[in-house]
Amino acid sequence: MKTEKLLVMVVEDEQLLLKAVETKLEKTGKQVIKCESAEEALVKLKTMQKLPDVIWLDYYLKDMNGLEFMTKLKANANWAEIPVVVVSNSASTEKVSQMMALGVKKYLLKAESRLDELMTVLDEVHRTGKGAGNK
Amino acid sequence: MGNRSGKTEVGDVSRWIWVAILGVFPALMFVAYRTVKLEVWWVILAIIYVTNILFAALTLRSLRQLKVSRDLLTTNAVEAEEKRAKEEALIRSLGEGIVVTDKNGDVELINHQAEQMIGWNLDEVVGKKWYQVAPLLDESGRVIPSRDRATQKVFETGKPVYSSVNYYVRRDGSKFPVGTTASPVVIDGKTVGVIAVFRDITKEKEIDRAKTEFVSLASHQLRTPLSAIKWYAEMLANGDAGPLNQEQSEFVKCLYQSNERMVELVNSLLSISRLEMGKIKIEPVPTKLGEMVTVVLKDLEPKILAKKQKVEVKIGEDVPEIKVDPKLVSQVYLNLLSNAVKYTPEGGKITVEVAKQGQEIVSQVADTGYGIPQEDQKRLFERFFRASNAQKNDTEGTGLGLYLVKAIIEACHGTIRFESEENKGTTFWFTLPVI
Repeated sequence: MKTEKLLVMVVEDEQLLLKAVETKLEKTGKQVIKCESAEEALVKLKTMQKLPDVIWLDYYLKDMNGLEFMTKLKANANWAEIPVVVVSNSASTEKVSQMMALGVKKYLLKAESRLDELMTVLDEVHRTGKGAGNK
Repeated sequence: MGNRSGKTEVGDVSRWIWVAILGVFPALMFVAYRTVKLEVWWVILAIIYVTNILFAALTLRSLRQLKVSRDLLTTNAVEAEEKRAKEEALIRSLGEGIVVTDKNGDVELINHQAEQMIGWNLDEVVGKKWYQVAPLLDESGRVIPSRDRATQKVFETGKPVYSSVNYYVRRDGSKFPVGTTASPVVIDGKTVGVIAVFRDITKEKEIDRAKTEFVSLASHQLRTPLSAIKWYAEMLANGDAGPLNQEQSEFVKCLYQSNERMVELVNSLLSISRLEMGKIKIEPVPTKLGEMVTVVLKDLEPKILAKKQKVEVKIGEDVPEIKVDPKLVSQVYLNLLSNAVKYTPEGGKITVEVAKQGQEIVSQVADTGYGIPQEDQKRLFERFFRASNAQKNDTEGTGLGLYLVKAIIEACHGTIRFESEENKGTTFWFTLPVI
């Protein structure tokens, strides 16, 4: 059983939503790193001491879309293993399959997902994400 | 008019001739015989002379009448020709394309605009089948068979047929969206051909597309604030900002539910606009409809149990897997079944049947519910339309559910229909082609 708090990196450019997610994450005992743009996220990934356990990613960001971000993420050996959950408000079958092909664990619609459900998803993805034997 | 008096004139002349031959001449012969004396030869000569003059005059008169008739004929012919030339010029110069075919569909006439639009000249196409000269394609590029074209349907209905959803293929293979009005050409009560007017409606389609894109964009934008409200209302209700009293809880619940309605509406708007823009690339995948129905019913299980309704499912054994887009067809079953649950009272019965009929799979969803009032039935599939008794039973409905169902079924090349009686129940049937 994990004794440390789950470290979640949230990449979301809408202030309002970012705040809500941060609030819920803290209420459910998790640690949060907030990023309002893809660039900010990449910079933080480079400089942070402890890498996040899970990344919560919005698809349409000010400076980059989800595909580009995922490509950059997977290109770095240190970051490639971090499980990613996409929580976006647009989800065409094309986008979803492309993102899943790049290794995204789950692709969910914001407007159709409750925060408490999303918290469960994050836990689950983290549990099953890091290699074999973790159940 | 000239013709008729000409005939009478000729009739007159022949009558006179007969009178002369049978009457005047014998009389004159008789007179000559009785008065033949040498001194009276001059009388005979005078008589012959007079007779000749008579005939000459008659002949002259009929010739003159003939000339008059012929002149009249020529004038009429010239006038008719001018009129015809003018009418042809009218058709030729019309800003829309015109094609006239006989009852076999062979081209008799196309005007200049039509030539420009399809890239063929009149002399190249006259006598050929119009549906071969200008093939018609649907949105997905499939050729529409001649019997389904407006120019053919006209023979069945005897009335003008309009169409604005398909594309003509030009001589060079390029295509353009066409709006057609085809009407039967009727002479003496018999249909002898078809005349169709058509135009390039690219501009209209662009405008329509722009409107749909706007709806799509607006709907997307709406999702962000809707998500924010959803999450904050959820956290409030959950006590994440401190415990709520009874009343506060109620209020927040209302906020949350209203917001969920808006989310649903936005979802429907987006689905519809995506369908209309052809963006839902129907991604057909071999699908087991029976399994799909089971999944949908599982989703609805809580509501069904709460209303103590009975559900019966019959899936035919010979129903094959068919290639359909599972998300879309799932939506169809979901909408029809959730309607059945919503609009059937407690203890009611819902049946679902899926069977193979020839080259189609027919799905039936029936309930023993409130039914649809007769006067509302023809508007049922309209956007935002809600039957008069629907509001009572579901204040949250958007009126888009059935519009979406119909749009999806038609995009899958199927058909949908229903029968309903108020307070007895409703049955929907829809078909999907076996592919």
